[in-house]
Amino acid sequence: MGRKAAVTVNRPPDEVRQLWSSSGHRPQYIDDAEAAVTFKPAPGDRGTEIHVDLAESAPGGKLRGAVQKLTGSEPLAKVKDGLRQFKQHVETGEVPRSEGTPEGESLERKLKQRPAQPLSESEREKVGV
Amino acid sequence: MRANVWSGRNTVQVENVPDPKILNDRDAIVKISSTAICGSDLHLYDGYIPTMRKGDILGHEFMGEIVETGRGVSNLSVGDRVVVPFPIACGNCWACRHELYSVCENSNPNAGIAEKFFGHPTAGIFGYSHITGGYAGGQAEYARVPYADVGPIKIEDDLTDEQVLFLSDIFPTGFMGAELCEITGGEVIAVFGAGPVGQFAIASAIMLGAERVIAIDQYDYRLQMALNRAGATDAINFAEDPDVVEQLKELTGGRGPDAVIDAVGMEAAHGHGALHAVERVKQATRSESDRGHALRDAILACRPAGIVSVMGVYGGLMDKFPTGAFMNKGLTHKSGQCHVQRYTKRLYEHIRNGDIDPSFVVTHRLGLDNAPDGFETFKHKQDECVKVVLKP
Amino acid sequence: MPFPPRPVDATLHGVVDYSAGAFLLTAFPKLAGIEGTRSARQVRISAAVHAGYSTLTKYPLGIVKAIPFQAHLALDAVGAIALAATPFVTGQWTKGPRQWLPHVGLALFELSSLAITDPTGRGDYHGDVEAVRSANTEDPHRKIYNGAPAVTPATATND
Repeated sequence: MGRKAAVTVNRPPDEVRQLWSSSGHRPQYIDDAEAAVTFKPAPGDRGTEIHVDLAESAPGGKLRGAVQKLTGSEPLAKVKDGLRQFKQHVETGEVPRSEGTPEGESLERKLKQRPAQPLSESEREKVGV
Repeated sequence: MRANVWSGRNTVQVENVPDPKILNDRDAIVKISSTAICGSDLHLYDGYIPTMRKGDILGHEFMGEIVETGRGVSNLSVGDRVVVPFPIACGNCWACRHELYSVCENSNPNAGIAEKFFGHPTAGIFGYSHITGGYAGGQAEYARVPYADVGPIKIEDDLTDEQVLFLSDIFPTGFMGAELCEITGGEVIAVFGAGPVGQFAIASAIMLGAERVIAIDQYDYRLQMALNRAGATDAINFAEDPDVVEQLKELTGGRGPDAVIDAVGMEAAHGHGALHAVERVKQATRSESDRGHALRDAILACRPAGIVSVMGVYGGLMDKFPTGAFMNKGLTHKSGQCHVQRYTKRLYEHIRNGDIDPSFVVTHRLGLDNAPDGFETFKHKQDECVKVVLKP
Repeated sequence: MPFPPRPVDATLHGVVDYSAGAFLLTAFPKLAGIEGTRSARQVRISAAVHAGYSTLTKYPLGIVKAIPFQAHLALDAVGAIALAATPFVTGQWTKGPRQWLPHVGLALFELSSLAITDPTGRGDYHGDVEAVRSANTEDPHRKIYNGAPAVTPATATND
């Protein structure tokens, strides 16, 4: 039932390990859940692989999983989003914002996108830009 | 500001929307001087691409003047005249470092949505549904350009908008289509589709040294443009004779073209009445999203061990892909959304040198407010329409 | 709002021409209970004639493209009315509903399909070509036919 996620970051393993533990960009959800995180060098010039293994920590079984998938709070999807955002911070210095998803990638936005047109002033204040 | 927004199938409207502002440090705001309607915009217009929302601003071919830059943009200043490539690319990921800009790993904030459709996310694109990020497009007065230190190309010559506007999409797309054919000189290339991308694919094949380039379409006026202006050496009108494979064999001494370029995509039309009628019904009932006539013919027509270069946009699934022909003839299939940033500098040089004048494809210049009629005219090929440029 | 476009284009009309024609020639008379009567002959002849001139029509499913599509549609209309009139002209309508109802029914089906067939080939175009022409600052014809070649051969390389 999908407990693992991975992402590859374009930096050497030592740098990634250091950024993971010190920066504020490590996905919040991974700290809350009991996840095993490992770092491996990626083949060739590809950088570092970050592997996350969510422990068997979700009680309530299949029904809870289905509900979570529907309400957008599914743990693995959140981990994937978080990993992607960590990669974006490390590689580009920012998280991409679109008019449809102005806060950066999130589960809630996948279910309810803004229309792809510029934000009004009050919307920008809410997002914090 | 005024912008052309999607409002449902076969409907676009020019509406008032807020002006864009800087959201990230590497953003820039461009005041748009010219923008165009792309053939792939018609797939959005016809309702074949999912995840569109009412109010989405369309348009991914635009250029103009920088009016504001974020703190992280040092290579551009206010007042610079720029052309903006349609793929949004960060410049730092593994893909961007290998010049594979249209599959940038970081620029799509809806990566999870794209993953469900394609297996992996691809780059963000301006104004092209929420699968590609839900970015506002360029058929408007202003646009916000992310990663402005990577994409936009500065124009410092006395060239008109129309001579450089197509560096944003269709010229590099046609060029990549021709480059993927590995032309070394003396080849025969068949280009399916004589729309704007097809015209540039033909022109690029000529520039790369192909000996013969065969244009294939159902509209005589587009074939005329291909022969007179783009440099095509032969033309096939499949409305007169739908057996394209046979005609290509005749034109190539029975061998078949060395490479074929698909510049048609998922809304292929075809002369074979009954098969076309069946596929139209399937598409209308949404049981098949992509019409594959052009691709099928391209695979059957290509000579054994040739190259099939696919630049036409497809979105979902097609029926009856000729796997037998493909495998047994040993064809190479190459495709992709164009990695525009890889080509802009080179192609800009060619324009400056006078090797090509891209403005030859423009047949209609309209104000932004005429965008809805422009879309209809372009879609139905009325008034000998090839390319529509909009001026906000 | 523009008037709703006619949904049946020439291709679809052709599909109906041939499939309805085949059906009328084969199973229809038995199903309508007129097998063996002059009604069956009349229906079959009209189906055969219809299929015949369909193969000679200038549309996607025509074999020899000779008759313009609009002429084909006119023949459809005339043929439908003639088929509907036949039982009354011959007097066979007195022999019971089976000897005139199929004719009239088929004629109504044909006429209603004509009402939703698009004769112009314009499809579902609902824009304003005149507005586009007057808003356009250039004449498209000139650029396509009279312009000089816009490309110089063999000026690029494949790296």
